[in-house]
Amino acid sequence: MVAILDPTDERVPVKRELTPRPEALHGTVALLDISKPRGDVFLDRLEELVQERAPGVKTVRYMKPTVAKPAPEEIKRAILEEADFVIEALAD
Amino acid sequence: MRAPSNFSLADSSGTQFHFPRPQSRACLLAIVKEDCDTCNLTLPLIEALHRDANEGLDVLVAVQKRDDIDVLRDRHSLTMPLLDDDDLDLSYDADIDTVPSLFLYDGEGASQIETFGFDRHEWRELSREAMTLAGLGGEPGIDWDALPVQRPGCGARNYEPGVYEKLQARKSGDLMARVVEIADRADEHEFTYEQDYTDGFPVVPPTSERVWKMLQGTKRDPQEEVAVVPPNLAPITVEKVAINAVMAGAKPEYLPAIITLVEIACTESFNIHGVLATTMGATPVGIFNGPIRDRIQMNYGGNALGQGNRANAAIGRALRLCARNVGGSKPGGTDRATQGGPHRLTMNFAENEAASPWESLAVEKGFEPGDDVATLIALSGGPNTFADERSRTARQLAGSFALALAPLQDPKSSTSDTLVVVSPDHAGIFARDNWSKDDVRECIMEDTRVPLKMRIRDDKSGAGLPPGIIKRFGGEAALDHPVAKFQKPENIILVVAGSPAAKFSTILGGWAGGVYSTPTSQRIGA
Repeated sequence: MVAILDPTDERVPVKRELTPRPEALHGTVALLDISKPRGDVFLDRLEELVQERAPGVKTVRYMKPTVAKPAPEEIKRAILEEADFVIEALAD
Repeated sequence: MRAPSNFSLADSSGTQFHFPRPQSRACLLAIVKEDCDTCNLTLPLIEALHRDANEGLDVLVAVQKRDDIDVLRDRHSLTMPLLDDDDLDLSYDADIDTVPSLFLYDGEGASQIETFGFDRHEWRELSREAMTLAGLGGEPGIDWDALPVQRPGCGARNYEPGVYEKLQARKSGDLMARVVEIADRADEHEFTYEQDYTDGFPVVPPTSERVWKMLQGTKRDPQEEVAVVPPNLAPITVEKVAINAVMAGAKPEYLPAIITLVEIACTESFNIHGVLATTMGATPVGIFNGPIRDRIQMNYGGNALGQGNRANAAIGRALRLCARNVGGSKPGGTDRATQGGPHRLTMNFAENEAASPWESLAVEKGFEPGDDVATLIALSGGPNTFADERSRTARQLAGSFALALAPLQDPKSSTSDTLVVVSPDHAGIFARDNWSKDDVRECIMEDTRVPLKMRIRDDKSGAGLPPGIIKRFGGEAALDHPVAKFQKPENIILVVAGSPAAKFSTILGGWAGGVYSTPTSQRIGA
């Protein structure tokens, strides 16, 4: 592992924290299938739940070409441009 | 070499061996490495001591590489404990530079004999003393006559280049900055971008060993506070300057110059806060005088204001990175430059003192010719080169300088601190006619004066003075009154740099009329 020394005044933590959690769903939710087996089953059910519990919210499906590599830039960019939230199906 | 008074090491099975030894037993500690002929010559002798003095003496052998423990055990059929000093903690604490190194302790843990390499006479004495401390007396079963009289040892692993710096960084206590770990599969360059540590170009990852090496460039304490850096008013230590200097690509010998620039930048007179925050996009420009220019191989010759010289580029960049990372000055944040310019990445050069007929900028500021001096000037304009290959007299050439300077800002506006970088060929013309800096400045002051009527705002341009100002100058009669471009001659800062390639010189325009930032010089310390 490479370790470096912090060049800043150390008043803020190294950026690894999660973005703030939203209070409520709105706009568009991206549902990202990372190409793990049965990710579609999980996301199908999530999509149903979102539509049932947050009727005004739109869902859009995305899929990574392979589980073994990070999402291609175009998918990340598309999600960033088109969606307000993203739910990623990580597990088998 | 100093006998360790306290340590704890494990053998390859994980059993811990502590020193001082339990039950007040005497102890022989040896530190060895595998690829050393002298260590291989002496390990059977140490094993003989272990065998013959075991009753009252603990023999511990620390091996400087974990993987070599089994190799040595098998090669010499060793039965004594072989301890793992792969992280070199013990070797560092013992400060050995040679292997084998031996320390013989009595039952109280007090060091009795220390030796390194192999000297038959010394080793024989040591083995006798070891037998005595073991309460046995006599000598171990060693055929001393079959051994060479003397063999030098080998360099200890803890002093190998690269290893030494890593150890110092970890153990010297010099480094206090937060350690930021980058995950194994993460790209360290992408990481530094994600953390917003860079000025847009890649930075050298500031590993602890690089920072420790950088700190060797100064005599100052790593934790000494250098300045308080605006806009966040964050204290910056020598160590933090060193971290940013590593990132900028600097060498350790540049560090005193970089520290000096940080000190100057954070003075009230220089006002780095305003310089970096201004919508006009100013930047600190560093100019160096004195022997340091050659010592750190700065460029004051061809392309002095341009790319390609490590010292020129890295010193200026390091100052900017300190202001960014410690001071918190970032574009879009407190840096409100409307357009900025490439000189805001780094703008730093040395004066070509040998090619100058004049006293250097530093001497002009009251320093001695042999002093190492840095000067910072806040400038908004990037280098603007003009040509005059026809003037043959100093008068003509100063006139051309005036023509080039007259449109600064715009021809109707006055301006203030302006840096004029005179090429050696132009300097030669002034030298031939024996013109001083003041002669050149006075001529420029005179030639750039224009009648008040040419400074008045009109329908063709909103630039210039409001028409109502005429009253302040005494009415219509004052329209022909000459008005100066520069507030005072000292606003024209003359330095010589470049190669004798052509008759070009270069102008860098000032910031905000010069009222918020004063060019500031300081001697460079150690």
